[in-house]
Amino acid sequence: MSDANNLTYESVQIGDALGPAEVYLSKDQVRAYAKACGMWTPRFTDDEGARKEGLPGMITPGNMSLAILSKLVTDWVAASGARIVRMGTTYRQPVMPDHTLTLQGFVTHKNESDRTAEMDIWIESDEGDRLVIGTATVHFPR
Amino acid sequence: MSTTLDLHSHSEASEDSRAPLEAYLNWLKLRRAERPVDGVVLTEHRQFNKDADYRALEDRFGLLVLKASEVETDYGHVLVFGVTDEMTRRFDFANVHLPAQEVIDEVARMGGVAIPCHPGRPNVGLCEHYAKKPALENVVAVEVLNGGSRKGEDERSVELAQARGYRTIGGSDSHLVSLIGLCATRFEAAINTIDDLVRELRSGDYAPVDFRPRRKPVPHAVPVEVKQA
Repeated sequence: MSDANNLTYESVQIGDALGPAEVYLSKDQVRAYAKACGMWTPRFTDDEGARKEGLPGMITPGNMSLAILSKLVTDWVAASGARIVRMGTTYRQPVMPDHTLTLQGFVTHKNESDRTAEMDIWIESDEGDRLVIGTATVHFPR
Repeated sequence: MSTTLDLHSHSEASEDSRAPLEAYLNWLKLRRAERPVDGVVLTEHRQFNKDADYRALEDRFGLLVLKASEVETDYGHVLVFGVTDEMTRRFDFANVHLPAQEVIDEVARMGGVAIPCHPGRPNVGLCEHYAKKPALENVVAVEVLNGGSRKGEDERSVELAQARGYRTIGGSDSHLVSLIGLCATRFEAAINTIDDLVRELRSGDYAPVDFRPRRKPVPHAVPVEVKQA
């Protein structure tokens, strides 16, 4: 297990965990995000309006889920000087606000030639369903 | 001697996965205690790579790697084991509307076996199609444990298998390295080749196995008060 306070390419090991971290996402936080991003549409702001679109209630914008997942990675990177160079996500189920989400990830492989580490990352619902899954690439400077 | 195989996985050859096979095998080696599988079957979406040779990786990690395909039909997604040249000439694997009954019958005639996967999943699973169309004939087995299933999907798959008398398999359907081997199928016989696998799927003794960790429910958290500046 690598030391989070002194993370280097050499110290990172395959199997190292990111999180798990629990985040409570409120409807007000989602509305604030939607407003700030110019996404003020019913699906992100209003349960009744979202249901009229066939959704189970107001949902979290995909960009917000991506941002939450990126924080899992940046918290792991901390002040090491490493940086995210790529993230990719697949949205499997809507992320519903007013629920506790669990963020988790694992380092899965490393690439010596460009000093990067690849990791799986995902958001789990409070019932254990993986709502958003993805991968990230982190580069470590020499 | 029994053999446990993850019968459903996607490597970076599938457009929606970035998982290299080598990383899958390394992960299984690291997690051997909690996911005791003997190998994986790569079931890439809508394709079959006849020429891929994984023997060096098999030797390096001591795990079996077999090749199959996941095709898309008018009854949802289907895993095809024992793919031959005759099959890839007969069917365009890239076609997302393949006729399921023909796939099942022709694959069997050509020496393989076609198994519907995640039947409980909306849109791409057998259950939803059975609600609107006649049931398929000659189905040998269905996948009832799928590592990517959402709540209720595997349960629907089990109900379908029980109602129709289908045999059952499991696979991780992994698109991420760390999810490989979470669901698998345990065969009572030894399996070393794709021919062994097809023979056992048709008439052997097997059952799905679930290596997913039991998770404690997360308590509903209390919203954090956000103070206005």
